[in-house]
Amino acid sequence: MFPLPPTIIAFGIANLPMLGWLAAAGAPILIHLLFRRKYREMPWAAMEYLLAALKRRGRRLRFEQWLLLAVRTLLIVLLVLAVAEPYLKQAGFARTTGGRAHRVLVIDASFSMAYKPTDRSRFDRAKQLAGRIVEESRQGDAFTLVLLASPPKVIIGTPALEPGKVLEEIDNLRCGDTTADLPATVATVRRIVERARRENPGLGRHEVYFLSDLQRVAWDPKLSAAAKAEFRRHSEQLAKTAALVVIDLGQADAENLAITNVQTLDPVATTARDVRFEVTLKDFSRRARTRQPVELLLDGRRVAQTHVDIPPGGEASAGFAYRFTAPGDHSIEVRASGDALHVDNHRFMAIPVRQSLRVLCIDGHPSGEPFLGASDYLVLALCPQDDRSGQGLVEVDLATESALLERDLSRYDCVFLCDVAQFTASEARLLDAYLRSGGNLVFFLGEGVLAERYNRELAGAAEGLRILPARLDQVAPQGVYSINPLEYRHPMVRAFRGRAKAGLSKTPIFRYYKLVVPKDSNAEVVLRTTTGDPLVVEERIHRGRVVMVGTSANTSWTPMPLWPSFVPLVQEMLTFCAGGELAQRNVRVGEPFGASISGSAAGMSVSVQSPDGRTRPVPLRFEGDYGTLLFAETTAGGIYTARFGPPASENRRFAVNVDTAESDLAPLTLDELRADVWPDIPLLHEVTGQDLDTETAGAPIVRSRRLHVGVLYVVLGLLFAESYLAWRFGHHAP
Amino acid sequence: MIAAAADDKEATTLEDSPDYLDPTILARLKGLRLRARLIVEGYVSGVHRSPFHGFSIEFAEHREYSPGDDLRYLDWKVFGRTDKYYLKQFEEETNVACYLLLDTSESMRYRSASAPMSKLEYAKCVGAALAYLILHQQDSAGLVTFDNEIRALVRDSSNPSHMEQIVHVMEESPGERKTATAAIFHDLAERLKKRGIVVVLSDLFDDVDAMMGALKHFRHRRHEVILMHVLDPAELDFPFRQTTMFQGLEQLPEALVEPRAIRKAYLEEFNAYVRRLKQGCRMHRIDYVQMRTDQSLEVALSSYLASRR
Repeated sequence: MFPLPPTIIAFGIANLPMLGWLAAAGAPILIHLLFRRKYREMPWAAMEYLLAALKRRGRRLRFEQWLLLAVRTLLIVLLVLAVAEPYLKQAGFARTTGGRAHRVLVIDASFSMAYKPTDRSRFDRAKQLAGRIVEESRQGDAFTLVLLASPPKVIIGTPALEPGKVLEEIDNLRCGDTTADLPATVATVRRIVERARRENPGLGRHEVYFLSDLQRVAWDPKLSAAAKAEFRRHSEQLAKTAALVVIDLGQADAENLAITNVQTLDPVATTARDVRFEVTLKDFSRRARTRQPVELLLDGRRVAQTHVDIPPGGEASAGFAYRFTAPGDHSIEVRASGDALHVDNHRFMAIPVRQSLRVLCIDGHPSGEPFLGASDYLVLALCPQDDRSGQGLVEVDLATESALLERDLSRYDCVFLCDVAQFTASEARLLDAYLRSGGNLVFFLGEGVLAERYNRELAGAAEGLRILPARLDQVAPQGVYSINPLEYRHPMVRAFRGRAKAGLSKTPIFRYYKLVVPKDSNAEVVLRTTTGDPLVVEERIHRGRVVMVGTSANTSWTPMPLWPSFVPLVQEMLTFCAGGELAQRNVRVGEPFGASISGSAAGMSVSVQSPDGRTRPVPLRFEGDYGTLLFAETTAGGIYTARFGPPASENRRFAVNVDTAESDLAPLTLDELRADVWPDIPLLHEVTGQDLDTETAGAPIVRSRRLHVGVLYVVLGLLFAESYLAWRFGHHAP
Repeated sequence: MIAAAADDKEATTLEDSPDYLDPTILARLKGLRLRARLIVEGYVSGVHRSPFHGFSIEFAEHREYSPGDDLRYLDWKVFGRTDKYYLKQFEEETNVACYLLLDTSESMRYRSASAPMSKLEYAKCVGAALAYLILHQQDSAGLVTFDNEIRALVRDSSNPSHMEQIVHVMEESPGERKTATAAIFHDLAERLKKRGIVVVLSDLFDDVDAMMGALKHFRHRRHEVILMHVLDPAELDFPFRQTTMFQGLEQLPEALVEPRAIRKAYLEEFNAYVRRLKQGCRMHRIDYVQMRTDQSLEVALSSYLASRR
């Protein structure tokens, strides 16, 4: 802890320019002097008695005049002072009187608290001030400790009576990389206070201290109406049972630069071609940044650097291209240094790099003749160079439906099933396990498909497995149908936007299965026919993705395989499905990441290494032949490595990044806090710590007690006093 | 209705005449004699009883009726013979001398904005009216004007033509100097040998003790004394609000005063002075009559007549 200075009390003015009106205080004196200069002359006969009166009362009259003048001058001075909003700064915590108190220390642990403009961060100050609260409390007071984070973290949940242990807990606190979930924290604190009241009736008073930078995004979150009402209800309940103290540790002029996004423009990274990265930087200050250096690090080694100009408060993009030389999991870090908040100056990406994409095509009607089978056109579209040797981008294996059970699907990034008539229950289980391990399925239908079997085994009918995103209805009558691309909204067909020559919307469909998307499912319709029926539907099921095409992959139901739109559509389907893994490898702080591993998973040991170097064993959850890893303790940003083995030996990398919504350090003012966040909720003290940076190490918290209301009461009293004195001294007598 | 006999050009009918006891109306008229006559006649018409006669018991002569005369003294026998109205007049038992002491010092010239006339003008009206009344009662009237010394002295006489001299002296009194009441009253007490009624018309802004000592001197010489204290309403009420430089009359200094602040103290001083005056008068059996220059002059005549009875 820091050395603590004695309590200091200082007077301050919030609205300093208003003090200029103090000149108006001279008005009564000026008016008095003017009136003395401006008089009339009059002869007077009864002068003897007037002089006698003056002689007798002169001194008192002068006193009365000066007293009235002083009251009037003071009245104006105090009125101006009230408008200027004076406040009393009190450094340190005065010992409150009364019975034993329960103090809930809520310390903001969101990453904005890591802002470090001097030798100490906001979080360091929060810890110091929390320590002061504990140290300056009376014997018998109890403490609980909660971190304002997302989700909130309760460090001491039941009131602790030993200040030493509480101080130790405070000392051990570390600022996280999370955002702040104020509604959840308030609800948690409310529960703690209610339980303390119930279980510790000797604690007669409850005080909740929020030590935070009052960041606007955290304190005024955009909530739904229902969530807002819930937050308000919890806040009101809390305010009824406890006094609320807000200690503002923010700085109004804090500047920050953040890398808000890093993405690959190619969903699938291979060694066959350059991978393009796009980096987005955002400035949260009022000054422009020129030639801001941005570095790209691959597996901890700097491989590229560029410079960008960022307008004040604006965004800029930087691009990198890199060709991986070796397949496997790689980690990318983009770095842009140069401000007082380092957490968001880094952004990480875990990227699995393949030599090629491996695809299995199951043909429901294989044929010896070219282009008569169900998947011939599809294979060609997947691998247009006619190079299935594995040297190209896509490596395709072709098999019949009877061979499905024999194949190790975990070797494939995606399985295409073309006009397969039906699936057995064991085949359905195989496909289900494949999806659970993160595999992807694309179904093309056709005249050989038995809709009833599909629905029963794959579409969740009769308690079967749910593998298909839509149920099969009837085959649409023979006709000429076109495709409605739905304004190319779906990422799978976004590449067609503005490319009319690809002819997607003009591709004719003669027959198709009408697909019925279940209500309340997460399935998305990618394309429809012009009659409005879904034609292509996709859904993320388990850890994989399933795409269902209502028509055939050969020319039996549609000439689409001959159409220029077919090849890019199939390619986009593949990259869309395979790219899903990238999303699973890159999550935000607080979000879990997971992976599945097939084969002899039983007895396999799995551990996860965090960015701080700590390694923790993680149990696998077994489902069938697959073991699933789920790791939820992503409290810090960086690269996490999951190690599977033995008997297998496999490492998978995951990137965890901060939510850069927290990067906007704009603080909420106390007035906004009162008006927008906690209207009509009393705050026991109004606190500001904006000038803490200028104070010495160990500076105490600064409480600001506004005095203007009290001053206005004095003004009111003086108004009455002036009227009374003026009447009493005979000035208002007729 | 009986028409009033016109004895000069300004005569008018009593029926149409305004209230000449009201100083506001009186101030519009010029000529002290006219004012005196109208005051007295206005007063007479108000009381419906002639003050001029009735104090004597022996018949002296007949006089033609004039409006306001007491009808009790109408000689119905003469009316029966001549068809004219004559009143019976009676011989006085005694002939009273009345001395009018008029203060013409500078302070008597004061007139506030709300007053219709200055204290001196008011005192002159009262004095002339009294003289008119006295002379019409066949009493003798004398006049003394004074400030820090005696300015004019008109010996008492019961001759009606004496009125002209009194009025003339009054009209010629300018009012410019300081007052020195006590010494003058002592002097006059010695001079006025014939016992009578001394009517003092003054604002009495002088040393009260000395003044009461001098008035006591009159009483010692067996004079009846009526102290007619003429005051401006502003001196009694001190109604001023604006900051004022009060310039003292009679060589007193000036003073810049916030009137609202000093009003209470001033009134305390002034009322104490009046109280002392009244106490002195009561002690020496002197009639004290306070007259505001914005009030009717009736009070002056009533006071005199009351003392005559």
